[in-house]
Amino acid sequence: MSDSEAPHQSADGTEGPPKMEDPSPAQTPGSSSPSTPDHSADVAPTRKARRRPEAQPAAETEPPAGGEEEQQQPATTPSESTVSQGGWGYWGSWGKSILSTATATVTTVGQGLTQVIEKAETSLGIPSPTELSTKVEEEEKRQGEGSSEVEKAATDGPSPVGSAMGMLSSLTSVVQTTGKTVISGGLDALEFIGKKTMDVIAEGDPGFKKTKGLMHRNATLSQVLREAKEREELQTAEDGSSDAEKKVVAHYGMLFDEFQGLSHLEALEMLSRESEAKVKSVLTTLSGEELVRLREELDQIKDSFSMVEFDDEEVDDKKDEDGTEFEKELTSSVDGLSVSATADKLSKACRNARSTISHMSNPQEDGEADEKTHSAEDVHAAAIRSLAELTARSIELFHKLAEMILFSNHNMGAGVLAQLTVVLCKEISLLSKKFTSCLTAAGFKEKGDILNPLITGVFLEVCVHFLVYNKEFAISFNH
Amino acid sequence: MAYAYLFKYIIIGDTGVGKSCLLLQFTDKRFQPVHDLTIGVEFGARMITIDGKQIKLQIWDTAGQESFRSITRSYYRGAAGALLVYDITRRDTFNHLTTWLEDARQHSNSNMVIMLIGNKSDLESRREVKKEEGEAFAREHGLIFMETSAKTASNVEEAFINTAKEIYEKIQEGVFDINNEANGIKIGPQHPTTNSPLSSNQGGQHAGGGCC
Repeated sequence: MSDSEAPHQSADGTEGPPKMEDPSPAQTPGSSSPSTPDHSADVAPTRKARRRPEAQPAAETEPPAGGEEEQQQPATTPSESTVSQGGWGYWGSWGKSILSTATATVTTVGQGLTQVIEKAETSLGIPSPTELSTKVEEEEKRQGEGSSEVEKAATDGPSPVGSAMGMLSSLTSVVQTTGKTVISGGLDALEFIGKKTMDVIAEGDPGFKKTKGLMHRNATLSQVLREAKEREELQTAEDGSSDAEKKVVAHYGMLFDEFQGLSHLEALEMLSRESEAKVKSVLTTLSGEELVRLREELDQIKDSFSMVEFDDEEVDDKKDEDGTEFEKELTSSVDGLSVSATADKLSKACRNARSTISHMSNPQEDGEADEKTHSAEDVHAAAIRSLAELTARSIELFHKLAEMILFSNHNMGAGVLAQLTVVLCKEISLLSKKFTSCLTAAGFKEKGDILNPLITGVFLEVCVHFLVYNKEFAISFNH
Repeated sequence: MAYAYLFKYIIIGDTGVGKSCLLLQFTDKRFQPVHDLTIGVEFGARMITIDGKQIKLQIWDTAGQESFRSITRSYYRGAAGALLVYDITRRDTFNHLTTWLEDARQHSNSNMVIMLIGNKSDLESRREVKKEEGEAFAREHGLIFMETSAKTASNVEEAFINTAKEIYEKIQEGVFDINNEANGIKIGPQHPTTNSPLSSNQGGQHAGGGCC
């Protein structure tokens, strides 16, 4: 009895003051389009479905794929406009709650953000958020049709979309362009890391080229992963009914979900979408020098990510044998960011992976000489399980960081994120290499599975999300 | 492993009312008296059976602290069910229900099933909110109501499962469009024949991805 009382009482203490803010979240008459609550729920699928083409064409030139996907767009247009309506309405109430938070916890940061929000809200008064967002959607769609047009749209000023909205359109283009460059900057560096990491398990995988195509599709990573997981589940279910004795096959997607990687990724995507919308709406309110200054800031963020360099060759198997170096780097990267518990989980996952590897590579040292050597399937299963856990924990860490950043307005530079990404990529690359050695030793011959492109994608996507956050920080801190 | 449906739940309510403890009791069948403050959102999942069908519950356990509110609201979207929790030994957590309810209704889909939970029913001696008050609040706002104890596990299963039953009934009645993921419901992988506009789109991707 007394057990349960202690924590509750301590929690009581923190509860008192917020009471006075009770009415604030509900005070958003008009700003959040209450008449269409049903539609606002539509955000997830359609929005998700459109993120890819924005990000990909700049990094990888695959016009045919993009074109095909665009043809699907008209069918979904009606829901898209309602989607964004919900999104923008939401931004209004979010702004309000930030306002109250900002006044409660008076910081310069909060005040900066407040000003931006006030500005945004006043300016949004003329074109209604609904109209505005519809335009944005149209604009985005138009741009999605060809990445080469984007640059033009940005410089050409008023676009053909609408005369009254000309100014707005060109501003949106700027956002689009900026976003794309930022993303491509990050992608170049990260694509490289990813490819290196990927080559590891699926050497000679004939399906590799095809599965790689998954990442260029009109879907977010969490969708791709979920589909993969569902296929695996279905496959497992079928296998189970037809051949009960069949060996358990390791499925990255299912394991990734088991470690809650999918949930954390989904949550991160939800936060990112909102941040993205907020950044866009702030940008539409700026002009002249302010806009130029902001674009410069966004460029700086891009630069700090472009500088992320990671040379797989430099990853030395011998160095950092026990992982202490990695743990040290990880700890110092997230120092002061209040995510130590999550970082610990990741460290533990790395330690487990290392002990699995050493167990696999030196079975005789265990004193169990009679135990038969590990089969290639065992090693492969262990490798996929470990990598699924590692990536899931990494996503969890990124997700927690995102929450802490939004929560505390922490002025976390892009450099820190870049550093953290490198640390994680290095570790995963290192562990992948080790697993590969184990696999080779065990005579692994089977075709690789979908794992590789997915892991690449995990990191690419997460980093893109973070770039979006950083855009937001830059805006809130400096305007 | 395979399931017929997946429901997304959110757990909301003031800090310290026992949201994370309810989740832990439901997923792991254990009680942890000292719990770290939840940051943002944490997750849990469990399979249940309703009407002979396997249903996977994916539960988003949100932070109760006021300062996290603007973040946690982002997660309401796309939930099929919500557990709105108060502490029967703390009147203020009951008083805040209206705010939570408004928040939930504003940021999620209108069909979301909401279960009102008066937690810590084991602490009868310190009770500040009568069971009748909870029932009245639920009646007034169209919620389902239960008193639970995450510590003794009393009614915990029931709370999660009854919410799922209600969602399941709504699906049967056609209230929920199960092809719209924004409703927090996903169809399990053993229904490959379902052909919504969305899935036919995905079908194309499968073929292109050369997944088989």
